Amino acid sequence: MSGEGRLSGRLLIVGAVVASLLLVGAYLAAGGSSYEPKKVQDPCQPRPWSNPQTLGQIANQFTISALDGAACQLGVSREELAQALATPEARERFTKSHGIDDEKLAKAIRAGLVRAVDDAEEAGALSPLLAGPLRQTLQQIPLDQAIEIINNAQDFLGNAESFLGPAQDIIEQFLP
Amino acid sequence: MPARPRVAALALAVGVVLADSSIVVLALPEIYRELDTSVAGVTWVLISFNLVMALAAVPAALLARRVGPGRAAAVGLAVFAGAGLACGLADELSTLIAARCVQALGGALAVTAALELLPATVGSEQRAATVWAAAGATGAALGPALGGLLTELVSWQSIFLLQVPVALVAAVPILAVAKHEAATGVIEPELRETGRPHLWANLALAMVSAAIAAALFLLVLLLIEGWRLSPIEAALVVTVMPLAAILGSKLADLVADARSRAAAGAILVSGGLAGLAFLPKATIALTIPPQILVGLGLALVLSALTETALGGRAPQAIHGGWTISSRHAGVVIGLLILTPIFTAEINQQRHDAIDAGTAVILDSPINPLLKLDLAERVSQQLETEKGKVPIIDPAFEPKPSDPVERAEVEQLQGELQDQLDRGATHAFSTSFLLAALLGLIALFPIALSRRVDL
Repeated sequence: MSGEGRLSGRLLIVGAVVASLLLVGAYLAAGGSSYEPKKVQDPCQPRPWSNPQTLGQIANQFTISALDGAACQLGVSREELAQALATPEARERFTKSHGIDDEKLAKAIRAGLVRAVDDAEEAGALSPLLAGPLRQTLQQIPLDQAIEIINNAQDFLGNAESFLGPAQDIIEQFLP
Repeated sequence: MPARPRVAALALAVGVVLADSSIVVLALPEIYRELDTSVAGVTWVLISFNLVMALAAVPAALLARRVGPGRAAAVGLAVFAGAGLACGLADELSTLIAARCVQALGGALAVTAALELLPATVGSEQRAATVWAAAGATGAALGPALGGLLTELVSWQSIFLLQVPVALVAAVPILAVAKHEAATGVIEPELRETGRPHLWANLALAMVSAAIAAALFLLVLLLIEGWRLSPIEAALVVTVMPLAAILGSKLADLVADARSRAAAGAILVSGGLAGLAFLPKATIALTIPPQILVGLGLALVLSALTETALGGRAPQAIHGGWTISSRHAGVVIGLLILTPIFTAEINQQRHDAIDAGTAVILDSPINPLLKLDLAERVSQQLETEKGKVPIIDPAFEPKPSDPVERAEVEQLQGELQDQLDRGATHAFSTSFLLAALLGLIALFPIALSRRVDL
């Protein structure tokens, strides 16, 4: 049977307490209780654009602003909406779980795209002459097309530039 | 028959049966995938065995005394082996669980009968209790590592199939005793009942066993499901615990007072579990110090409480039955309390991690088209991993050919993986803390064990 008695029982208990406290203390000091998942931001709060230069950077900010605007309208996070728009199945699950129909989703995404144009204009990334027609176009487009623009903002902005750019040049010649 | 082979056979019988309580821990993720069940469902492969052991141990001890311990041990091992074969051939969770219940019935009979046979074989009840407790502790400690190795090298079924020849080998020397019993008609040994079951020692055993079972079960799930280690890698990692338990048994030899050993052991188990609850990073190395504390603690506390529960009491088989019952009831209670808690935590953390991961992708500087494509692939990957801690790597394949984009994507993958790893690790924190609390609560019955020695 165990126990020859060469070590005091009290010493063993004190040793156990000290070893346990040292371990837990060291792990806590190293940040063991500090884990917080990366917070998702409130999509209704304005998110300033960080001076985008290239078309890719503008498209990036445009996408984020559009997702923010649509998510704000729907009362969900930008991240949840991005996941929902990833596949038709994810979209169906999302609309079912939030009790919203395609019309409401389309309205929210259109509003998001308009907010993205507003933000782009405010950041100086989009001229007012381009922004106006874009806003009008975006307010009319069907749901699938609106989602496609979010998914491929770079093409959308590139096309807008090539269609409306020459007209803008002409108009600018007549401006003071 | 010479005593040594019989002692070895009895120790092997006790070891293989009590290893069965924990041997499937590392195989659970594999069983969970192969039999297409849930985390909560697969825990019943563990719970069913421990529940039946808890309920059957004392009646099995009574039966062993009635029919003769030799015959009881031989029949018990045969039933254990037969049910092991059924477990190995099971292709449905319900069949596996039913076979596990039968296995536990046979196991309970074999283990309690072994304790009845050991005193005559080793010369004293005290020595018999030591051999019995050591065989059980060795089996329980080595079980997970052996199970992990077999799962990885062969299959989860091989764990049960290998038990068949092992149990039969253990049964051979015991058959001679059974034949002797049949020939001489010696069935019930002379009754010399002393003392009721030691309430406080058994209660403390239940609490500590709950904490230890949780430590093993949760750590294995964290390693395999959370950190995506293979069963063999996880087996190597959790081998730290039995190695520390060997050291702990040496330490136990140095201290005479069983109550102090039990208290120190319970504190170390709780300290180790609290350490696992506060892992600062998802790194294997950081699991080693807590495992050392748990291993040292389990060796100290289990042997001390078993000695206290058996000390000066007879018949040994009945009191041994109570300790088996308490230990396995503790495992069941631990799993029943903690399974729904960590299942809910895993689901919540998974949800948070997905949102956090999407935020990382959306906030990244990569090309927006690639970004949304990645978000879509990650989302689809999570679809296929529904209900599990997600594995994100496949969503990042193939990588972009452009070196700049490739570097950005790899950095993003690292950030996302870090979010998921930390989320998965954190998902186990509450359960580890609750298990630590169970270990600390055991200090109350340990403190009372001398004052009110029933």
